[in-house]
Amino acid sequence: MLGQIIQLDDHLSNKIAAGEVVERPASVVKELVENAIDAKSTRIEIELEEGGLSSIRILDNGSGIEPEDCELAFSRHATSKIKDEQDLFQIRTMGFRGEALPSIASVSHVDMKTGTGNGPGTAMKIVNGRVQQLERANARKGTEITVSALFYNTPARLKHMKTIHTELGNISDVVNRLALGHPHISFRLKHNGKEMLHTNGNGNLLQVIAAVYGMSTAKQMVAVSGQSLDYSIEGFVVKPEVTRASRNYMSFFMNGRYIKNYAVQKALVQAYHTLLPIGRYPIAVLSITMDPSIIDVNVHPSKLEARLSKEPELTALVEDAVKQVLRQLKLIPEPLKQEKRESLYSEQAALSLEHSFQAADIADRPKEDDHQVFLLRSEPSYTTIVSEEIETVKEERAQEVVCEEPENEVSSEVMMHEPAQQEHRMEPATTQKVPVLYPVGQVHGTYIIAQNDQGMYLIDQHAAQERIKYEYFREKVGDIASEVQDLLVPMTFEVTHKEWLILEEHQALLQQVGVFLEHFGTHSYIVRSHPQWFPKGYEQETIEEIIAQVLQEKRTDIKKLREKSAIMMSCKGSIKANHHLTEDGMFTLLETLRRSEDPFTCPHGRPIIVHFSTYELQKMFKRVM
Amino acid sequence: MKFQINRSHLLEGVQDVMKAVSSRTTIPILTGIKMEVHSEGMVLTGSDNDISIERHIPIEEAGNVNIEVAQPGKIVLSARYFSDIVRKLPGETVEIEVGERFETTLRSGASEFNLIGLDPEEYPRLPQVEEKEVLMIQGDLLRQMIRQTVFAVSTTETRPILTGVNMKLEEGVLTFVSTDSHRLAKRIASIDNSTEGLAFQNVVIPGKSLNELSKIVEESSELVHIVVTNNQVLFKTKNTLFFSRLLDGNYPDTSKLVPSESKTTLVLSTKEFLQAIDRASLLAKEGKNNVVKLATIDETNIQISSNSPEVGKVFENVTTQSMQGEELKISFNAKYMIDALKAMDCSDIEIWFTGAMRPFLIRPTEGETVTQLIVPVRTY
Repeated sequence: MLGQIIQLDDHLSNKIAAGEVVERPASVVKELVENAIDAKSTRIEIELEEGGLSSIRILDNGSGIEPEDCELAFSRHATSKIKDEQDLFQIRTMGFRGEALPSIASVSHVDMKTGTGNGPGTAMKIVNGRVQQLERANARKGTEITVSALFYNTPARLKHMKTIHTELGNISDVVNRLALGHPHISFRLKHNGKEMLHTNGNGNLLQVIAAVYGMSTAKQMVAVSGQSLDYSIEGFVVKPEVTRASRNYMSFFMNGRYIKNYAVQKALVQAYHTLLPIGRYPIAVLSITMDPSIIDVNVHPSKLEARLSKEPELTALVEDAVKQVLRQLKLIPEPLKQEKRESLYSEQAALSLEHSFQAADIADRPKEDDHQVFLLRSEPSYTTIVSEEIETVKEERAQEVVCEEPENEVSSEVMMHEPAQQEHRMEPATTQKVPVLYPVGQVHGTYIIAQNDQGMYLIDQHAAQERIKYEYFREKVGDIASEVQDLLVPMTFEVTHKEWLILEEHQALLQQVGVFLEHFGTHSYIVRSHPQWFPKGYEQETIEEIIAQVLQEKRTDIKKLREKSAIMMSCKGSIKANHHLTEDGMFTLLETLRRSEDPFTCPHGRPIIVHFSTYELQKMFKRVM
Repeated sequence: MKFQINRSHLLEGVQDVMKAVSSRTTIPILTGIKMEVHSEGMVLTGSDNDISIERHIPIEEAGNVNIEVAQPGKIVLSARYFSDIVRKLPGETVEIEVGERFETTLRSGASEFNLIGLDPEEYPRLPQVEEKEVLMIQGDLLRQMIRQTVFAVSTTETRPILTGVNMKLEEGVLTFVSTDSHRLAKRIASIDNSTEGLAFQNVVIPGKSLNELSKIVEESSELVHIVVTNNQVLFKTKNTLFFSRLLDGNYPDTSKLVPSESKTTLVLSTKEFLQAIDRASLLAKEGKNNVVKLATIDETNIQISSNSPEVGKVFENVTTQSMQGEELKISFNAKYMIDALKAMDCSDIEIWFTGAMRPFLIRPTEGETVTQLIVPVRTY
């Protein structure tokens, strides 16, 4: 018997490839727009009819295709983007597989008009993967491709299509991402003649974000940038007051390509830790550039995933960069703030008395008056002098703290005073993020009303104290005693071979936190003792959690493990609602809050302070219009 | 500072001032107890800014020496640890010694504790109250008046003034009134031992303070001195000073709320009625409102009932001693009724109804010292 196995013809193999590459109209748009981008277009127009099912027209002003290349472009594995094996590991273009055009052409009717700007252009028509018509046409520079009757010859796939709205939603997602990834290119998306997206292509990412997510969201975005040896990131993240219920609003672009990467996404969410309520996610657009040799996108034809050779470095960079930006922000939500026209409103500049207050606050009380007098007398140079003062005072303070230290070991009540002082010592340059607030009174025994020259503030007293105590306990829960409790009946743990290999490698880590694994047959461990601090009745679970930490992250982090109990301790130890506070009590609370690291949200991610600016108050009462 | 003190006296004092110390405070030093020793004795102070308690322990009492002072001084110690330690120390006496950096040593029997103290100069000063105009009342009467009214204060700070008990003194009659706007409790008593011509109306003491106060005042006829100032009230017993802040604002006029006539009057045995309501509320608790219904049957019977669709029903007939006036069906919150009946302190009560939608009045059959007012629940 001969001839059982035959080489499939091109047409058939294109159709098979189309199954993977051309999944739905959105994939057609993605492939064709990526081609347009690779052709160095600066303007790309996408016109759709009926969700792209009846026609997709893509018009660009890119380099176009030479007449003699036209037919070749529609054959399989034909591309202009890479030439040899080396190029595959240095990919600087969106596409490289040479599959898109033949795959699309095999399941639809394609009309193409293209010109390079030199000499006449080409018009061609392809039906069922075969060239029907090839002739000269006008010579406009760029390419216009129309894909119609998509999936006309694959009925099952056609049936699989959802409603026009769903398909349109998918396409608009794709175009949004491409636009966010390429702020230098002007995109215009039209559906049934109606404009859905228009970016101006001037390179301003924030304007693209405004076009995609809306003006008010864009106003709440802050710029992020960071650099390491291998990576550089640029982009915008949203202030924690704006959140979304889905993770889909975090977009990452690696060398201009939209990539889904779980680790990077996790790093971003981690940067927002305790700033967002449970189940809420930020909006972010981060563009990550790197040398093409450390990223491999040849994972799947859709190129949504990538393999990175230095992923941990990237996640650390993302987390640090975003954290740093969020730390510097004044994250006090202003609930009434709408479109604000500032230019009409002139403001008398004022002496920054806040500085003097800080200085006086850190220094001993009696010095307060000296500072004030001094300030007013030598106004022009006061900032530098005051900051010198602060520095010296802080140094003195730090020395005091150092010599006090040996005695502050026993009582936890006494330790309550410590965190604030320690902070001063560790970060002498910390600028205080919450302005000085003067309490006015209390509402319903729950919220503190405070004021300063910026307007009025409402503070949730429970949330505020919870934050203060959380920052104290967060460090405290990491200090675990080294006592170990032996067990009468030991616990056993079974692991897979792969896990066993990892655990063997990291035994030392586990031993550091008091978990001693002994071999017990193949791939199981026996544990004869556990650290004393483990929650009663949850010993087995706690050890499993620690093992899971080692398996996933190759490290142990007791603070993280016990974070929940730190949050609980801080919640229980804090004043509740319906609790009357005296003015002293309120003032002390606000002052301590000012010194905390993240004074804007409680550990559960709810806001602590809400700000009503003087302008907004005036506006509410129609004193300004 | 160094001294020796009888442990049981110290414990008693510490437990008294502990009532003012709150574990939740925004001012860290207030989690401590201040202790001051001088030649006349010892003063313990605890405060949460709302309530402050100062307790004196004299050097000598009834011929017994309580304290031997070697060196006077003061210190602030963590209330939580100090009170537990004192309670559990083994010996009959405790020796306390404080060093220059506020490190404190407690010795008793064979046990020795070292506690880290706080700087007493940081402890807030207690309000100064001049004792010019003094109201005096027996301790047991004060306790009773508190018990009969304080339960009706509001527990939410939505209207802060209602979280307190209004204390009035007019023409030798002292009145306590409290309401959370669903019910009202009022107690009056005549006072003869006060400064001539003393009168005040708008004194509102937080309910929480009075609850703590009644734990400290002894159940005896010994007189408690009460001094009222602008924003503070001081209760003074033999060895204790109890300060409380007063609530700001005007207490609503409650005198017009109390009905002066009745359309239906019931006379009931307090205990039987209370037990019947208590039983009916077993099922009523299931619903949100804890609603119990009362319906008159004839001249000698009323029916108490409650219905909770998912759980079941209860009916109970209660014999009345008398029933006058119109027939009536009314619903009310069982908890309010139980609280009110428990505060009555008499064997028989009278209830005055003026219609199913109008507040009704509970009072003893004899005397008018206690009045309880409850607003009914509307049922459709």
